[in-house]
Amino acid sequence: MKKLVSLIKASMTSGMNVFKINSKASSKRKVLPLFIAFWLMFTIWSNANIILEKLDRVGLEYIALSIFVVGISMFTLIEGIYKSGTLIFNCKDDQLLLSLPIKKSTVLFVRIFKFYVFELIFNSLFLVPVIMAYLRWAKADMFFFLTSFIMILFLPIIPIVVSCIIGAITTGLSSRFKYKNFFQIILTMLIFIGVMYVSMNMDKFLIDLVQNAKGLNDIISKIYYPAGVYADLVVKFDITKLLVFMLINIALLVVGIFVLSKVYFKINTRMKSVVTSRKVKSSKCIEVKVKSQTWALIKKEFSTFFNTPVFIINAGFGLVLYLILAISVFVKFNLIVDTIKSTDIISIDLFLKNLSTYNFLIIILVLLTTSITSSMISLEGRNFNILKSFPVKTEEILKSKLYASLIITIPLVIIGDFLIFIRLQFGILEFLLILLETVIFSILSGLIGLIINLRYPKLDFENSAEIVKQSVSSFVSVAIGLLGVFISFFIISSLIEKGTAPLMIMGVGIGIALILDLVLYLYLMKKGVEQFNKLNV
Amino acid sequence: MLEIKNVTKKYGDKKAIDNVSFTVNDGDIFAFIGHNGAGKTTLIKSIVGIHDFDEGDILIDGKSIKTDPVECKKLMAFVPDNPETYEHMKAIDYVNFICDMYEIDKETREANIKRYAELFEMEDKLNDTIDSYSHGMKQKIVLISALVHNPKILIMDEPFVGLDPKAVHDIKEILNELVKEGKIVFYSTHILDVAEKICSRVAIIKNGKLIKSGDMKDIKGDKSLEKVFLELEER
Repeated sequence: MKKLVSLIKASMTSGMNVFKINSKASSKRKVLPLFIAFWLMFTIWSNANIILEKLDRVGLEYIALSIFVVGISMFTLIEGIYKSGTLIFNCKDDQLLLSLPIKKSTVLFVRIFKFYVFELIFNSLFLVPVIMAYLRWAKADMFFFLTSFIMILFLPIIPIVVSCIIGAITTGLSSRFKYKNFFQIILTMLIFIGVMYVSMNMDKFLIDLVQNAKGLNDIISKIYYPAGVYADLVVKFDITKLLVFMLINIALLVVGIFVLSKVYFKINTRMKSVVTSRKVKSSKCIEVKVKSQTWALIKKEFSTFFNTPVFIINAGFGLVLYLILAISVFVKFNLIVDTIKSTDIISIDLFLKNLSTYNFLIIILVLLTTSITSSMISLEGRNFNILKSFPVKTEEILKSKLYASLIITIPLVIIGDFLIFIRLQFGILEFLLILLETVIFSILSGLIGLIINLRYPKLDFENSAEIVKQSVSSFVSVAIGLLGVFISFFIISSLIEKGTAPLMIMGVGIGIALILDLVLYLYLMKKGVEQFNKLNV
Repeated sequence: MLEIKNVTKKYGDKKAIDNVSFTVNDGDIFAFIGHNGAGKTTLIKSIVGIHDFDEGDILIDGKSIKTDPVECKKLMAFVPDNPETYEHMKAIDYVNFICDMYEIDKETREANIKRYAELFEMEDKLNDTIDSYSHGMKQKIVLISALVHNPKILIMDEPFVGLDPKAVHDIKEILNELVKEGKIVFYSTHILDVAEKICSRVAIIKNGKLIKSGDMKDIKGDKSLEKVFLELEER
């Protein structure tokens, strides 16, 4: 037990402190992430209040808790699926930990525990404001607090265990191939598409569920067991039910670790094995290609990107979703129109009149939440010293990172732009503005990511998922992107309602983004360069 | 010529390098020795432009690393204490990448890659990704990358760690060749008997301060370098 505690302590201090920016980080730098965390919590609290207000009228406030539990668990599961493969396999401290006189399952437990603690913090950011909002609308006794506390502690377990098992399956299968990373990306993407397909085709299941359910709590329980237990316990506290819930979670965790430990080390060893080329004569294998400094640096960024599955999946997810949306619009636009007609979210005339503006808004959402550059400095890791020793201006290094992100992002979005334009056939000028928007907002997203990553670098890490998914930089970049999306959504919605012409809305939007691009570029070339030069491993 | 002029580097209040000055002339193999944590790596990183420093200056052929870093770096090659590379790259791609950074023309890089790959017996392994390499092989790739662009000054931090005896022997030969061409080799090491044999000059650092610097024969006199070093350390 002592060993386990020491191991957890060492492991947590080395990698889990999300606010450990670097050893010289000033307290001023901690203000922005903390502010964003509070802003996020406030936003959730506000939204929870809106839902609770409606539920209060029918006396079903506790349903709000279940809704958020289902939502956050789903989110943890989806995130966990593509993080787990990287977080638990092929860590930098493998050699150290596996050489210590400790059980291999203990090493696995520590990895999963670290994953759990991060998700616990993340889940708390969502659940604590919901619980606080609930207290405004409903009476709560000490059992409510006890139940909520236990729920916060235990809710991450099921999604984590499930995602670790899925992560082990994808990693295990891909480890059998020469191009492990490629297969891991494909398998993970297939799982995502499968999850999305199933969740979009649950109508029959839900109808059956409602018809055969004994009550509302029964429906929630059948959708997601912990959400149902939470609702039950809030309505009527039952210690046995709580204990059963805790035992089921603990049992699942133990069984999960037991099952994983059977294959974990086999997969880990296979992941580390690298297929080497056939031996060929020296003169034939020396292939010399001369490139410019900038192009060589861009190629290096591609190499890092395409060799880091979690990086590709994280960055590519929004882009792939946009492509799927574009294909859906291209193939089934009439169905989308029929669906909108059947709901009263928006008038169909307004929708058809502003198609290009909605496309414009969706591109803002996709690009501002796709933050490739927010991990690019951190992912240099120990190689940061090599980079600094090159006879290359810092400006060029930063530009190459920006160019690489643009080359990855822009073509995919433009393919989507074309598909949507061909099907919807809005004016050529509107289409040109959409293309311009794709470029300008890709630059904006890239600049924000680089500036944030230079402000919150983390060059010491155990695996890439810590940087891509769990670093302050990625958190702050996505939050700033989301803030930009909210502001754009609010302004554009108001302008649409006022009947402003799409061309005007897009023109103004692009103009503002262009000014932001210029300001941020100048900032990056001055302050960013200084921060880069001061940084070292 | 490499000139270290009153260089001071602080981490907070602690001086990692305290007013260090010395000069390394063209054609010198210069050993930089000191106990663990004495400040060797900090000074080396300052020389190659990885670390900034608080006071003084470092001149590479008369150019300051502070004000003219790109021109200074063009003249140098750096071999770090750990063989840090972009491990997901093929070795040949990595070496090419380094050549691109130093803007080496096709003919020179072709000849040099071939020369050093053969010397380090790596020619049939260049098409493998670096993550498949052993520590020693990675170190060889770092050395090939450092030598391939014909640096005027070779800066190395513990270059012999992890290398097989033949590779160590070959490196010593290469270092001798480089200095015959008037180039500078500056390296930190704990292997004092090797330093004693191949280095013309030496500097000893203790707790960030330079405690001895000069010609190898003057510093050690009739004693071994190890004995001199231990005596200085005990003071």
